[in-house]
Amino acid sequence: MKFGKRLKQQVQETLPDWRDKYLSYKELKKLVRLISSAPPFSYGSVEHGMAGAEFVRLLNSEIDKFNTFFMEQEEDYIIRHEELKQRIQKVIDTLGPSGSQPSEAAYKEEMRKIRKNIVNFHGEMVLLENYSNINYTGLAKILKKYDKRTGGLLRLPFIQKVLEQPFFITDLVSKLVKQCEYMIDTVFPVEEEEIMKERRESIRVAGEGIFRNTIAALMTMQEIRRGSSTHSHFSLPPLILPDFDLIQSSQLNSPIPIV
Amino acid sequence: MSSSFLVLPTTVVEKHPNLLFSFQVSLEREMMRNPASQQASPLSPGNRSVGPMFSSSSRFSNDMHVSSVSAQGRQSHNSPFISQSLRSREDFTPTHDSHSEVQSTEFIAYSDENKDLSWSVDSLLDFAENVPVQNSQVESSAGVFASEDHANRTNWQEWADQLISVDDDLEPHWSDILNDVNKTDSRQKELKPSPNISVQQPPIHQHQTAHSGEVCAVANPLSPAPPTKPRMRWTPELHEAFVEAVSQLGGSERATPKGVLKHMNVESLTIYHVKSHLQKYRTARYKPESSCGTSERKMSPVEEIKSLDLKASMGITEALRMQMEVQKRLHEQLEIQRNLQLRIEEQGRYLQEMFEKQRKREDDKSKTPSSSLDDPSLLQAKLEQSSTNNKLVASELDIVKTSNESALPEESSPSISRKQKAPEERNDLVLDQIEEESSPAPTKRPRRDESAELSTGAASN
Repeated sequence: MKFGKRLKQQVQETLPDWRDKYLSYKELKKLVRLISSAPPFSYGSVEHGMAGAEFVRLLNSEIDKFNTFFMEQEEDYIIRHEELKQRIQKVIDTLGPSGSQPSEAAYKEEMRKIRKNIVNFHGEMVLLENYSNINYTGLAKILKKYDKRTGGLLRLPFIQKVLEQPFFITDLVSKLVKQCEYMIDTVFPVEEEEIMKERRESIRVAGEGIFRNTIAALMTMQEIRRGSSTHSHFSLPPLILPDFDLIQSSQLNSPIPIV
Repeated sequence: MSSSFLVLPTTVVEKHPNLLFSFQVSLEREMMRNPASQQASPLSPGNRSVGPMFSSSSRFSNDMHVSSVSAQGRQSHNSPFISQSLRSREDFTPTHDSHSEVQSTEFIAYSDENKDLSWSVDSLLDFAENVPVQNSQVESSAGVFASEDHANRTNWQEWADQLISVDDDLEPHWSDILNDVNKTDSRQKELKPSPNISVQQPPIHQHQTAHSGEVCAVANPLSPAPPTKPRMRWTPELHEAFVEAVSQLGGSERATPKGVLKHMNVESLTIYHVKSHLQKYRTARYKPESSCGTSERKMSPVEEIKSLDLKASMGITEALRMQMEVQKRLHEQLEIQRNLQLRIEEQGRYLQEMFEKQRKREDDKSKTPSSSLDDPSLLQAKLEQSSTNNKLVASELDIVKTSNESALPEESSPSISRKQKAPEERNDLVLDQIEEESSPAPTKRPRRDESAELSTGAASN
């Protein structure tokens, strides 16, 4: 129940194009309820079998959906990553101090844009990782419910398959994220050290889509991992974020309605 | 490790959709994995033993035996997977031999029906493992494959011959396909057997299983699937080759998909892949800012004012740094979480295997009454082993929690008294103990509205 709500929140918060790409958790839960209500033997067996088959069919199609979307995004990121690298190089080579047409103003302007792009790009990739993870979590949970309700043993083998799916293997995206972080170091100027104070005040700039989504994702993750009644060894430990209050205060509420 | 999981269960015919699904899954996974395949494969210089796979297959079939409903459920949906996998595998075939590629296509179908030769799937999987080698090491591996090809072609032939001894009612289809195989065809022709295989399976199933009736109503999803839409996973190396090709051909505007495809010279790539990739590339090139920023939602006017105001007051760069920090944090947490999830499942699987082994031993032992005394001690040993693993996982959880800056007491050996339960349950109980006894450290989280109040309250200062 709680995960479903959290997932819904996350979906609402997420980038608009992504909204329909998440797990249809509610749908799957309905099916599980259907299966467990229809008796598996005698006259209930047909519905039971059909609901069961439908459940698995839906699971598979969801996984397919994740894979397609994930790989599509990944391809985009590969391209954009390369483009960013080249763009930075070009700016340094032309407008930079040792470039062909050095111009401090133009250089600074371009760098400003690049910085923004890189940070948002980085954020988007991290959000894709989050997408992958949250869908995995949802699958794990719904499979657990299925096993519990029907006494089946679908969970273990099925989750093994999921672990091998492209959408769960986020190594490449993770690598790109790391590379992005290195890139950022070269592009950001070195700053003075009264940063902590400034940061506390500057958090509320989190109005941008990506940043806001990232905050939401962190919060959601923490929520999901809170101890629940069905906590088992398959559950993750609670998530503790050191800068919790910092992050929390940066979370904007929903858009202020214009009356 | 993967092959032991994905080995075909030998018992019921209906299980082969699982296999095919698994095959496609493993294929995708293998394709993404970069070069070195850890296991020996038929196409690598080392030799491969067939023996071990029998044991792993029987082990796996125990796991899968119970979920008959799910097996059927998957059946109808597997056809797109099947066709996709066959096609995508088709696309990813190493340069050396289209002939053996089709043979392995046959193996998929054959092995489904043949209960005796479950190991053939493993050979396929190993075959598939070589595919990513081809993919990412475009230049270097081509030569390697060519030389290995001849040595191994005879092996494939032998196995193909062995696999011909299948069920009678299936034979007519397979012999047709065999005929196709024996021609030295171009790839287009070889593509044809694959759809046939996947289409034929659902109807065959109908005869053999009771429940398949309802499921097959949904069957044959092959027709709605578009003809060329195999999912390909791009890599940076591949993209680099792409960029190289494009620049050689005069830039992204002038280059044509066909030209790029030819220049790249990657066997597994189709013009469809190149076309869509080129499109993305062009978009990214000519709208660099919009492509990086498109995903940001349009802010409402009020928010915009608010954020602009604050931005002006403390500098965009600083704000970006802040954003970066949060993103880094999220990334870190996701990595940790993912690793944990993997470990947890690994643990569960390990326990399951132990349990199966134990049960099997007990079954065997019940036939030889003299050694019945060993049973309790064996079970005890297994439990202790599992408790060691639990300690491992528990200590790992501790590490994570510590890294999250909270300290939790370490759990000593869990109770061994609950012997009779299944491994999953057992593990559940054991770790419940761990969870209960560790102090709950998460800070109290206010609800969303409260946090909203906080931020609006603070903002108005």
